[in-house]
This record gives sequence, C-alpha cells and structure tokens, in this order.
Amino acid sequence: MEGAFSYAPAIAAFPLAAFVVALTFGKWMPRKGAIAGIAATAGSLLFSLWMLAAVASGEVYHETLYEWTAGEAAGEVGDGIEFTFGILIDPLSALMLVIVSLVAFLVHIFSLGYMNAEGETGLPRYYAGLGLFTFSMLAFVYADNLLMAFMFFELVGLCSYLLIGFWFRTRSAPSAAKKAFLVTRFGDYFFLIGVVAIAATFGTVAFAGDDSFVAAAETAIADGDTLFGFDAQTWVTITGLLVLGGVLGKSAQFPFHTWLPDAMEGPTTVSALIHAATMVAAGVYLVARMFGYYALSPTALAIIAFVGGFTALFAATMGVVKDDIKQVLAYSTISQYGYMMLGLGVGGYVAGVFHLMNHAFFKALLFLGAGAVIILMHHEQDMWKMGGLKEKAPVTYYTFLAGALALAGIIPFSGFWSKDEILYDALIVGLNEPVIMAAYAMGLVAVFFTGFYTFRMVFLTFHGEPRSEAAEDPHPVGWAVKVPLLTLGVLALVAGVANLAPVAKILGVDIVFLEHWLDGEYGAVEGLTYSAYGELLAYETGVIGSEQLTILVAAGLSLLLAFSGAGLAWKLYNVPEPVAHKERLGSARRTIENNYYQDEYQVWLARGFTLPLSRAADRFDQTVIDGSVNGISTASLFGSSWVKRLQTGIVTNYAALIVAGFIALLVFLGVYGGWF
Amino acid sequence: MARLRPKNEQSTLICVGYESPNVTEMNDWIAIGMLALVGLSIPLGMMVVSYLIRPSVPETSKRATYESGEIPTGGTRIRFNIQYYMVALLFVVFDIETVLLFPWAVVYQDALASPEYGLLEALGPMLLFVAILMIGLAWAWRTGAVQWAQTRTQAASDTDRQ
Amino acid sequence: MAVFQLAEWTAMAPALILAGTALALFVFDSISPHSTNRSLLAGTAAGGALASLAVAVWFIVAGVGTPTVDGGLGEITVLSDQFVVDQMALYFMIIVAIVTALIVVASYDYLVGHAYQAEYYSLVVLAATGMSMMAAANSLVTIFIALELASLPSYALVAILKDNRGSVEAGLKYFLIGALSSAIFLYGISLVYGATGHLQLDNIAEVIAAGDADPYGGLLGLGILMLIGGFAFKTASVPFHFWAPDAYEGAPAPISGFLSSASKAAGFVILFRVFTEAFPLGDQMNALIGFDWTVAFIILAIVTMTVGNFAAATQNNVKRMLAYSSIGHAGYALIGVAGLSADGGELVMGAAMMHLLVYGFMNTGAFLFVALAEHWGVGRTFEDYNGLSRQAPIACAAMAVFMFSLAGIPPFGGFFSKFFLFMGALEASAANTAMLAVAAALVVNSALSLYYYSRLVKALWIEEPATTRDRLARPTGLYAAIVVAAVMTVLILPGFGPVVDAALDAAVAALG
Repeated sequence: MEGAFSYAPAIAAFPLAAFVVALTFGKWMPRKGAIAGIAATAGSLLFSLWMLAAVASGEVYHETLYEWTAGEAAGEVGDGIEFTFGILIDPLSALMLVIVSLVAFLVHIFSLGYMNAEGETGLPRYYAGLGLFTFSMLAFVYADNLLMAFMFFELVGLCSYLLIGFWFRTRSAPSAAKKAFLVTRFGDYFFLIGVVAIAATFGTVAFAGDDSFVAAAETAIADGDTLFGFDAQTWVTITGLLVLGGVLGKSAQFPFHTWLPDAMEGPTTVSALIHAATMVAAGVYLVARMFGYYALSPTALAIIAFVGGFTALFAATMGVVKDDIKQVLAYSTISQYGYMMLGLGVGGYVAGVFHLMNHAFFKALLFLGAGAVIILMHHEQDMWKMGGLKEKAPVTYYTFLAGALALAGIIPFSGFWSKDEILYDALIVGLNEPVIMAAYAMGLVAVFFTGFYTFRMVFLTFHGEPRSEAAEDPHPVGWAVKVPLLTLGVLALVAGVANLAPVAKILGVDIVFLEHWLDGEYGAVEGLTYSAYGELLAYETGVIGSEQLTILVAAGLSLLLAFSGAGLAWKLYNVPEPVAHKERLGSARRTIENNYYQDEYQVWLARGFTLPLSRAADRFDQTVIDGSVNGISTASLFGSSWVKRLQTGIVTNYAALIVAGFIALLVFLGVYGGWF
Repeated sequence: MARLRPKNEQSTLICVGYESPNVTEMNDWIAIGMLALVGLSIPLGMMVVSYLIRPSVPETSKRATYESGEIPTGGTRIRFNIQYYMVALLFVVFDIETVLLFPWAVVYQDALASPEYGLLEALGPMLLFVAILMIGLAWAWRTGAVQWAQTRTQAASDTDRQ
Repeated sequence: MAVFQLAEWTAMAPALILAGTALALFVFDSISPHSTNRSLLAGTAAGGALASLAVAVWFIVAGVGTPTVDGGLGEITVLSDQFVVDQMALYFMIIVAIVTALIVVASYDYLVGHAYQAEYYSLVVLAATGMSMMAAANSLVTIFIALELASLPSYALVAILKDNRGSVEAGLKYFLIGALSSAIFLYGISLVYGATGHLQLDNIAEVIAAGDADPYGGLLGLGILMLIGGFAFKTASVPFHFWAPDAYEGAPAPISGFLSSASKAAGFVILFRVFTEAFPLGDQMNALIGFDWTVAFIILAIVTMTVGNFAAATQNNVKRMLAYSSIGHAGYALIGVAGLSADGGELVMGAAMMHLLVYGFMNTGAFLFVALAEHWGVGRTFEDYNGLSRQAPIACAAMAVFMFSLAGIPPFGGFFSKFFLFMGALEASAANTAMLAVAAALVVNSALSLYYYSRLVKALWIEEPATTRDRLARPTGLYAAIVVAAVMTVLILPGFGPVVDAALDAAVAALG
C-alpha cells in the first residue's frame, strides 16, 4: 500500500481543480459546476478511503513536499528553521480526511436539490466556493506543520466568509459574513502570535517526528530550560493558549461564539459543511492534532476543559428559546463542540475525536434535514409555522429523527456513545480536580437542555397539526436530497459501534476499535498516539466504587437527563396545537432570548473601546504623523527658498562666499587637526 | 629637490642671540603676528602723525586729487578696443613658445650626442609643439584675429573719405 | 589584441584621438572659415569621440590595467609616470567619450543657424581631451594642465552664444570663479610640493610614508585643503558650486549636459586618484595632518547634497533645477571618497564610479531634453513644459525615465548606483560612524529630490498645456541622442553586472 501515499496531494488537488473549473467554466456547464464538484469530492473520498486503508495496513506518511524558505533561527532552542509544505497522514488525519470528504461529497449532492432545483443564481460562484472550502479543509487536515495549518486555517475562514455572504444582495448575509470573518480573525490573531512564538522558541513548527515542536517542548520541560524568561512549562502554556485563541474563534467557543448563529444567513448546505466538517471542526481538530503539546500543560488543558463545559451548557440554554430551526441547530453546534473541547481538555483524546466524528455525521444530517424541511416549507424557517410534516415527508422525518436522537444522546444512537465517553472521562478526572468537576457538572446539565431543545425542534417541526399553508402542502424533495439524508441517517445510527467503550469495559469485550485505531495498533507516527499522550498527561483519575460502577453511574446520569429533557419537550410540545412556554422562564427569558447580551457587550466593546481607540490613533496619525510629514516638507521648502537666496547672481558675492566657505573649512579643520 | 627648513631650525634662526631656553618654545605665529602689527602700525602711524602736524586749509585746489597737476577727466572704466587683447593673447602664446624653446635649445646638442635619443626623440616633440601652435596661429589669422577691426564711426569716416 | 606590442605612449590613445580630432577641426576651419557644413563637422567630432570610446573599451577588454597576476597587462605609465593608464583611467575615459558622443550628436540639431560651428565642435572635443587626460594624469602638474585644458574650452563653450546675454554672462561668471579656483588649486599644489618635495603622486605618498614630511603637517594639510577646493570647483561641490547654476542656465543646453556629466566625472577621477595615490589613509597620514581627511569629504558630501537638493526643490526654471540637482549628485558621488578607510572602501568608491557612469547617461539625457525644448522654443519654466507629452510622447517618456532614474526609483540605473552607494556608506560606517549620517543624508535628500523630479514629470504628462502649440519638430540628432541615453539608462540594469565588475575592479586596483 506504500504507493497509495504518493497520491495524497490529489485529495486536496481535486477540489481545487473543481474550484478553478467552476469559477472559469461554471457558467457554461450543465449543472453550473455541480458535476465538477461532485466528481472532485467523490475522488477525494475514494482517495481518502484508500489512505484509510493504507493506514489500516500499518503504513503512515510524513513527507515534506516543498520548502519555501529556510534560515538561521534565532530561537531559544534549536538551530536553523525551515518553513515547508508537507503532508502528514496518520490515523487521526486519515480518519478526518474521510469524514471531511464524505460530508463534502454529500453536501455537493444535496446542493443539486437545494440550490440547482430551487433555481438559485450565482451557482458557479457557489460551487467554486464549496470547492475551495473543501480544498482548504483537506489541506489543513493533512498539514504536517503548524504554519501550513495556519495558512489553510485562514483560507477556511476566507471561504466561510465568501459562502456565508453568498446572498450578498440581502442586508443580513454580508453583515453576518463580516461578523464571522472579524470574530474568527480576532481569534486567529492570537493564533498567529502563537505560531510565531512557537517557531521563535523551538525553531520548528513540525507536528510530528523528532524535530517537532512537541518533542522540543517536552525536552525543554524535562531539562528545566528557561524560555523567554519563563520556565518551560509556563511558556508552553502561554503559547498553547495563544494558539487556542484561533481554536476558540473557529470552533465558536465562548466568548467567540457569537458569529456562528448569524452565519445561518448562508445557504443551509453551507451551514452543514461549516458545522459538520470544515470551519468549526477545524478548531477542535487543531487541538487534537497538537494534543501532545497541550498534554504538556495541565493549565492549558484545564482551561480547555472548563471553557468547553461552560460553552456546552451556555449554548444549550440559548438553544431552548429559539424559533428558527437553523438557529436551534446553530446553538446545538456550539454546545456540541463544547463537549469535544471538554473531552480533549480532560485528556479524553479518543472521546473527543470520537465525538468529532459522530457529530460530523449527525450534524450534517440535521442540517441537511433542516435544508429539506426548508425546501418542504417553501423557504420558511420559523418552527411555529411548521408542524405535521411527519406523514408528508417520511424520509426526511425519520432521518432527521435519527439525527436528533444522536444529538440528544439517546442510546443506542452514535451521539450517546461519544458524549457518554466524554462525560465519563471528565468524571473520573473531576473526582480529583475540582475545576474539571465543575466543567463536568456543566456538561451534565447541558445534556438535559440538549434533550429538551432537540425534541422541541422535532415536535414543533414534524408533529402536531400543520400551522401554515406551506406546511399543509409541502414542496416535494428529490433523490438528491434523500440520498445524503439516508446515508447520514444510517451513519448517525451505527457510527457509535466504532468505540463502544462502556460496553467493552463492563462486558470485558475488546470492541474499542477507534481507541485502537488512534493508539496506533495499525499504524501511527511515533509520539502521535493515544498512549503516548497518556504518558504526558498529569491527570490523576479516580473512580466511584469500581470502574464498572462509575461507568454505569455516568451513563445512567446522562441518559436520565437526556430522557427527562426529551420527555419534557414531549409533554410540552407533542400536542396538536403547541404554544410557546417561554413566559414560564420568567425574568431569565429576556436574558436568554438576547443570548445573554453577548452581542451587545461585544458591540459595546467595539463602540465604546475600540472605536475611541482607533479614533485616537487616527487623530495621532492625522496630527502627529501627517503633521510631522507636512512639517518636514514645509521646512524643506522654506529651507529651499533660503538656500536659493545664497545664489545672488553677483559674481563678486560668489567669490566672497567661496573664500568665506573655504576659510570656514580651513579654520574648522585646522583647529581640529592642530595645524596652527 | 629644494626643501624648506624644518620648523625648529627656523625658530632658532629668528632667535639668534638669545640664550634663554624658553624662547625656542615660542610659537612661530607670534612672529607673524608681530610682523602684521608692525606692518599696519607704520602707515597708520604716518597718517596719524601727518594729521597731527599738518595745517588744514580747505580750499578747492587743495582738495583736488592731483594738486597742481593734471585735471582728472572721466572715470577709469572705459572700453578698450578688443584688438589690444587679441594682440596681447597672441603675444602670450609666442612668449610661452619661446620660454619652452630656450631650454630645449640648450639641451638639444647634448641630447643628440647621447646614445639614448635620436633625432626623432629630440626634434620630433618640439616640431609637433610648434606645429600645433602654427595651426592655432593659422586659424587665428584666417578668422581675422589679426585684422585691425574698426569701430562703426571709424568705418563710417573711412567711407566718407572715399 | 596585442596592445602591449604598441609603444607605451599609445596607451594614451583615447585622449590622443580626441586631441587629433580637435586639431583636424581647427585645420578644417582654417581652410574654410565659418563653415556651416554641419554634417561634416558633427560627423568628425562624433567619429573622434566614438573612436576614443572604442579604443578605451578595447584596452579595458584586452586587460590594460588589470593586474598582471590576474592575467592582465598591468597599468601602463607614460612619460616617466606623468600619466598612468589603468582601469580607473580607462573607465573614466569611457564615460567622457560616451558623453562627448551624445553631446556632439545632439548638437547637430541644436546648432542650426548658429555661428562658430567648427569652433564649437573643436572646443568640445578639446575639452574632452582635457578630461580624458585628467583621467590618466598621475602628477600634480599634469593634473593641473589637463584640468586647465578641460576648463578653458569650457569657458568659451558656455559663452559661445555670443548674441545671448545669458550665455555671455554665464561664461564670464564661470571664468572668474574658475580663475579663482585654479589659483587656489595651484597654490595648494605649491604647498604640497613645498611639504613633500614631489609632484608625482606616488612619490608624494612615499615621502609621507617615510616620515620626511612630518615637520610640515599644517602646511601639507592646508595644501590638501586647497587641492580639495580645486576639485570641488570642477565637481561643482559646495562651497565652490556657485558658478554651476548660472553657468548651466546660461550655457547652451548640450554644453550644460557636457559640463555637468563629463566634466564632473573628470573632476572626480582626479579626486579619487590624488587621494588614493598621494595621500593614502593610514596612521602616518592621520598623524601628519591631525585627522582622517575623510572628515573633510564627509562634511562636503553632506553639505553639497543638502544644498543642491534643497535649492533645486523650489526652482521654477527647469535647467536651473537640473543644475542644482547636479550639485546634489556631486554630493552623492563624494560619498565615494568620504567612505574610504585605511583598509577598505572599494565598495563605496566603486559605487561612486558606477553612479558617475549612470549619471553620464541620465543627466546628459535630461539636459538634452532641455536642449530639445530650447530647440522647440517652448520656454524654460515648469509651466512652459506642461502637457508636452501630447506632442512629443517619446521624448517625454525618455525624460520621465531620466527623472525617475535621477531620483533613484527602481528599476532604472540610478536606483542601483544609489543603492550601492547607500550600502557602501553603511558598510563604511563600521569603520567610521559618521558615515551613518552620510547614509541618512543620502536617503533624506533622495526623498526630497523625488519631489522636484516628479514635479517635472507631472508637468510633462499630467498638466494641461497652458498655451496651444504648433506641431513640434522632431530633430533627428537630438532625438537619437535622447533615446540612446534613455535606453542606456534602462538597459544598464540588466547590463549592470559588467559595470559593477569594472567599477569595483578599478576601485580595488586604485586602492590596492
């Protein structure tokens, strides 16, 4: 299988080609570039599967393709630095390649039904954007160094900007696109500083191998080095947190989550791609990619875990009062990525990646399902105008239900297994670490809200009586919509089989495939395995009674909360004529409906702080900088007119000046040289 | 090659007759300053003395520039005929030629006698030099430099006479 | 390429050819006075200049001046070391020959209807002879004679438009200041001779090295300062620059170009030669005159470039602006001497030599454009030049090239030579921190110069014409010279390698 890897660049190259083709020839193509996109992503999917198979057969791939600059590093550690483009294919990236290309492929197919069939204009631009988006994400996934990852991370951000603003003639879409761009850019700013700091510290930005910055950091900590005036571990924490800034922005974690709900202004297919496999996933994937680095810093990990747990709960509470089906899904995304961060933050590398995978499937499913609903509802997104779609669109309903069950974490759907594993990992660490315990508690409470808002959405959309004309007479959907839904529906149901950790531990059966996969049972790059990370982690774990009991308690608790949330939703909304129950929230309602005033305070920050600051900077520029420039030119011209006056036009004056100048020089040099 | 005497010797010369060792350390510039002082004070002194002892009789003929002499007419800034300069320039050219010819003539015989130089080396350069000057002279002649130009009034009076 | 088989005096061929051409023109004029056979006269002069150029290039390619250890023929001395033909001499002979050729070709059209045509050409070539000899002169006497040979025809050339009051006035001013400067220079020579007992440059250096001149430090210093005065006059450096604006403005424009390019370059070559050969830097020299003589050049360089550029900034007359800019450029070239040190400075001196070559094209070209404008009779100020690009796009494009190159904008030749000067100054600052001030002055003045150079480009290309003009003539000779100068200003970039090599080799040989 060795030969397989030489085709690795093609995985990213296919969508790039599709981007070029759609952009240049899309206008004249029968499906405006869709075919090219589908073919390209299908190619990427096939090659990704091939890579997966190659990794399964025990091979890994780590190759530098192109060195674009190199130099003598002035780093604290190491000598000489190289900036390269390279490919790293190990179990993690191979898995992620498959997920990304699969979701991208299905989104392309779905777009035929969602965009082409609905007669949208500007389709070549749309497919070009999708192609570039997929290309950027795939290249990001198998980047072998931090700088290359950063570049494609930025490209991903650019593509999301282009696609969120696809309907740029509306008022809201361009503004949402700008918001997404600015907020994530704010995070990326810290990421960039982090990249520079890491490069300057360790003289390398490679993810893997002996000369990776992870290995260098490990050595530095072991040797007790002092880096830039800090001890090594503190410096690793600082740089890790700087990089985390980019992660929080992209993965929409508190406090950078505000862009994501607004990003619903883009086409629903784009939302599916952003939420499931590309933009938002990029952040969490980056943490997983450089997990070894974070594993060196307990502080950074605890911050990741706490932010994750908090975001999970925070976003879930906001999700319960939304009326727009896509808004609910948006907040669920924020919440679910909070879980992944929690999982990674407590050292649950496998659990975090597991949830990333499952979430990709069920969230893509839910968004595409929501897209189907929107088609059915003639582009109506308010859930209060839906209802009763269950009988009229069974395929959409049952697949959506599968996704919802997975999202809510109902056994045996995939979401349950991964979320449960995260919570279990958090619990056993939390027994010794109060901060983690708090994060766990928030994650646990969020399960209840998740169950509630998920089923509120399902019941309002599909159950009860139709509440509008559109709901009574839905627009039919075609195969292009149904095929992706069915595929993802099946995956949402069965993907959990990949890692049935609780079952394995209770029954003692070895069915934790994903754990073995990530632990390099088949093939892995040295140092990038679950057990290698485990050795770096400083966490102590505890149990309640025995391990089995702990598992049962954790699983039982989360299931109980999920069921109670779902049950409450069933009681309140699974009625023929559901009504809003928001007033029962009392004073909290306003706060939650306003998303805890997060937008307001950020706007206040921009208006009240940044704007005056930039005004002051502008004034400084206008007066001091421009003033000195203008002053210099005025002084120069004044000096010029003065110098000009020396030239009187009278030759005797010239002679006098020459002699005077000569004597001045003579006196100066004579005194200086001691001639007299 | 001739050389000026070194500074130190010069100062001892000036200070001949003085045995004091400090004097040799005296700065050379003091002597120059003294010279300037004396040079200025002599004419000034003469003017002051004559001012003090002369009688003052302000009268027209006494205040003339040349008492009992020529009566001045007009300023000195008058135009000379350009021809004066032309002739002077040509004269200077030949003057310089002569200055170079004399020493050459002195060494000419010796140069011919020595085995190092032949007729070509001894005579050639001077012929070339004279030839170049001849070209200059010929050009000056042809362009009318030696023709006595006439002012307009002279030219007019010439035609009148004819 | 058997140069060495020729007699030694033939090494001076580039200068001798020019001298012969000048005499031939005089002979012709004696036979047929007041001839207006422009083709024959200009053709002869141009032929002489090009022949001189060809011979100089041939010599440099054949290896004259290249040290024998590098397989060259070594430097050739003529008349018992009174002249020396080495790489630097040939390099500057090439510059002089190029500028002379450009000027002569351009004058073909400029002189239509003027009297004294034969005299004009023969004086130009005679001055070029002097400049060529300055490049090779190796003793204070030959330097002075060559300098006067270059200067005296220049005075006459500036005043050659006898019916033009400006021209005559300029000639007289130039002559008077020239006489004063020559006197100072000659006095300096006598003082140096008094202190060292020698006139030949290498002998002077020997006497100083042997310590025989030790008692006369102040005398020698004064002599050196007076020599600097003479060079400053020739290169139009402050404070001996006063003649330049008036002379350039009044002189026929091709002559202004000739004086500001070739004459300046010739002034620099003797400056380089005297100070590297006769007064090489070193502890001995510094102790003798009390300081490192680069101090004087640092002061002169900064003051010259500042005065030149500042005065140019607010000129309204284009020719006068160019005159001041040429003073500014003299300041840049002075960096080449200011940056020398006891054990280095090849880079900065080489850069100054490159700058003088590039300057030979761009500055001559700029003055020729002014000559073209005078030929058209459009006027002298910036406003008069407004909108000329509509009628003469090619010439105006060439002028834009000259202006941007003079300002030091890439990708033109002027940028590279200035850049090398800047780098050289920075490198020299390792030995002498005052060079940092010189480098800073270079940058500040270049920035200021962009203001007035671009003002002219703006007038040519952007402004609306103030008055309606008739169709403008396209004189062949002037156009050809301008276009050649522009093409060379641009092409010197890809061809910069050989120029850099030649200049650096020459600088290394001169300093070695």
